[in-house]
Parts: sequence; structure tokens; C-alpha cells
Amino acid sequence: MTIGIGGAGCKIAARLDSEAVLVNVSETELGKVDGGGRRLLASLHAGRGQFKGSRKDPAIGLDAYLSVKRELLPLIRGNYVFSSTGGGTGNGICTGILRDLSEEEHIATEDKTFFALLLPYARLESSEFVSNTSDFLAGPLAEAIDSGNTGNIVLFSNSVKFEQKLSEEDFNAMLVDSLRQFFAVPDKNDRLRLLDGHIDHEDFALFLSKPYFNHFTCFDYDAQQSFEKQLAKHPNPLLLPPENPIEALFLLEVPSGADPTIFYDIVEHFTARNVSPIYSVVENPDIERPFISVALLYSRKPAELVNDFNKIAEKHAQAKVQKSLDQYVTLEKLNVNLADEAKAALKQRGDEEGILDILKRIGRL
Amino acid sequence: MTGTEALALFERQVDFLSESHYLLLLWSATAEDRSLKYNLTNFFDDLKHLGITRTKQTAVALAEVLSGLRFIEMRDESNRKNLYISRYGALALARLVESRRFESRQSSYLEER
Repeated sequence: MTIGIGGAGCKIAARLDSEAVLVNVSETELGKVDGGGRRLLASLHAGRGQFKGSRKDPAIGLDAYLSVKRELLPLIRGNYVFSSTGGGTGNGICTGILRDLSEEEHIATEDKTFFALLLPYARLESSEFVSNTSDFLAGPLAEAIDSGNTGNIVLFSNSVKFEQKLSEEDFNAMLVDSLRQFFAVPDKNDRLRLLDGHIDHEDFALFLSKPYFNHFTCFDYDAQQSFEKQLAKHPNPLLLPPENPIEALFLLEVPSGADPTIFYDIVEHFTARNVSPIYSVVENPDIERPFISVALLYSRKPAELVNDFNKIAEKHAQAKVQKSLDQYVTLEKLNVNLADEAKAALKQRGDEEGILDILKRIGRL
Repeated sequence: MTGTEALALFERQVDFLSESHYLLLLWSATAEDRSLKYNLTNFFDDLKHLGITRTKQTAVALAEVLSGLRFIEMRDESNRKNLYISRYGALALARLVESRRFESRQSSYLEER
């Protein structure tokens, strides 16, 4: 089952899974999402009635999480959670979920949750999104990874959307296609003629339950060229770039009658890096060239990610300060001392009243 | 002339006075209160200091108007024309003070003493 949290998370989850459970603080936003299944309204009451959204404030999302916690926590067990990290709802509710998961003593492999998080494009998106993301990566996400209680965490980036100027719908479609391609690995293993190795649903689920960041990609494989170069050339543009892998998985599809032993070069590539990949080689009669789907699990520390975001957030802040300085206008200081003014007024009045006294004293009045 | 007519005349005389006349009435009264003699030259110097006039004739003309209205008395004393406020001048000054038509300004002659 898929669970979408917040605006962006709901849209992606609904596109991926027609039965997806959609969670949001705003009923209006929930109504706007096409597709998906059940809607779960995380309610939060303020002094003036119910919040209509979380206003990019994760604290509001986190408070709203309490209203759905009892229902949501069992739902996410062994399932897929989609959320963005920039806004208030996705970030806040995910913060609650990750904190609760971190505090658990032990979570069984089959109960681990797969998180797909959509990170903002720091260069162009609002500074609140960037700073919310920094806090999220450094705080609850880091804790959850340290606890080992999550499954794979996929870090999508909005960069392609902004760089290629894609509509949100097109971008979400790309993102979901990319995920489907990856999730199809065990199905292909089942459906197509197996030539070597195997990745069944159990193996795939086990791979997804490991508490690392996952970078998956796919490309046409040319056995004449080094796998390393091809992998470096074809990272998944929708995801943050990977680090050195800790674990790996690949599915190699070869055309009918092609040499299946080309996979050994790939295995060697990984074993040279102390990684024993799980793999499957299948025959796909519909393709003309070998095609590979690869997933790399890496454990890049969130601290480094946070640094990246912090650098951008700092640039934003500096730009704001610079703008304020540029727009600084020296205002002439008007020195009005009320006490002096009052004294002067009194003196004036006193003088005038004093004149009458003077005239009386000199005997003219 | 009835009392009412006399009062109306007095009102018109007071209405006619300018700031410089007011200052002369004020300064002459103040000087007398402080037992000082205030003469025509002192008045001219004060007006000059305040930038009101640069000629002594103006000061003389202002003083002569007040003297003509019997609001001040000009006395020749020790080769000086000393200025003294009269009872009518005091009434006129009181009326001007109450009406707040003019603001009091400092006489440098009186300030220095």
C-alpha cells in the first residue's frame, strides 16, 4: 500500500497507486487530488477554527500528526510513504512518523517502511522550503537512519523539474514511471525466462527493508564498455547523486539469443568495491540491446546533505541581507525632546503671564 | 464720547499695533520692572539684533507712534530718550498678551543685564 502525505506526496502516491491513502491537513487540498483511495484528514484546531493548511510550517504538520497517529502508524508498516520535505504538512507529519519509528526497540524486516522524499530545488525554491528541508534532514531523518528502523529512503530532487521547466504533472509522471521501472524488477524476474541469478519478491522486499538511501537507475547496457563509466554516465536524474554503494541490486535483461555471461563484468565491478550484489539475468524477447536496472544502497550521512542545503540557505540569507542593505535609506533623525518642548511652552506661557504681573508691579494695571 | 466709543477706539488702536510695537511695550515694561532705563537706542539695537530693521528712523517712527497714542512716554534724561510704558500702554499690552497675537522675543539689552 502507498501512503501520500502533504500536497506533493499525495499527488505522487495517487498517481502511483489507485488505492493510496492520502493524508493532508487541508480538506480542500485532499479534494483536489485526482485518483488515490482513502482520504485521511489530519485535523488541527487553532483559536479561530480549523487550520486550512500548514502554511509551510512543519510545527503545524507535526501537531496535526497527533490526530492521525493511531491510525497512520499501523498503516505505514511494510508500506511506501511519499512526502516532500519542504512544506509544512509532509515535513511535519513525516517528522512525527520518523521520530516514533526511531523510538521503537525493533521493527521486523517485513514491517519496515519505504520512504520516498521529494527535496526542493534549493537554487530556485523558497527559502522556507530549503530551511525546512535542512532541519528535517539533520533532525528526524538522521535519527531514523541511526535507529535502523526505516526501510530504503529515496531522495528525489525537484531539480529536473525546474531545470527542464516541466509541468508538475509531467514531472510527477516521470517520477512515477521511474519508480515503476524499479518496482518492476521482481515481476520481470518472475515473468521473463531466467538465465542467471534471481531476485524474487522476497529478495526485493528484503532489499527495500534496508535502512539506507536508495539510488536506482536504468539504461541500455553496452558490454564492450566499462560498467563503471556507463553507471557514472546514467545516474537517475530525478534522484540525488549516489555515494559509494554498500549494497547493490541489478536486473539485466538481454535480448533473445544474446550472451547472458556479460553480467559477470557487472558483478566484478561491485565485488571490486566490496559489494556483493543480488542480481537476476533474464531474457527479454522484446528488446534489441541489453538493458539494466540497478539500485545502489548508500549511506551518505545526512550531515553532508544538510551542509549542501545549509550552504544554499546561507546564500539565500546573505542575498536577503544584501538587499536590505541596498534598500537601506538614511532617515534624518528628528530630535524632539518632549521635556524641552514642554519647558519652552511653559516658559512662553510663563513670560506672557509674567508680563501681566510686571505691569501690576510697576503700577500700570 | 461715550465709554463704549472710547473702548471701541482703544480696540482699534490695539488692532493697529504691529509686533515691533508690542516688543517695545514689552521691553520697556520689563526694563522698568528691573529698575533699568530703556532708551530709544537700546530699542533700535534690539530690533537690529532681531533683524527687524536696519535703520534708526524705523525705531524712532515706531516709538513715536506709541508715544502719539500715549502708550509710552519718551523722556529726555541725561541726553537719552528713555521709554516708559503708560497706563494705556499697559492695558494695550495686556490685551495683546491675552490675544496671543504676537510671541515674546528676547531683548538683548535686557538679557545682558
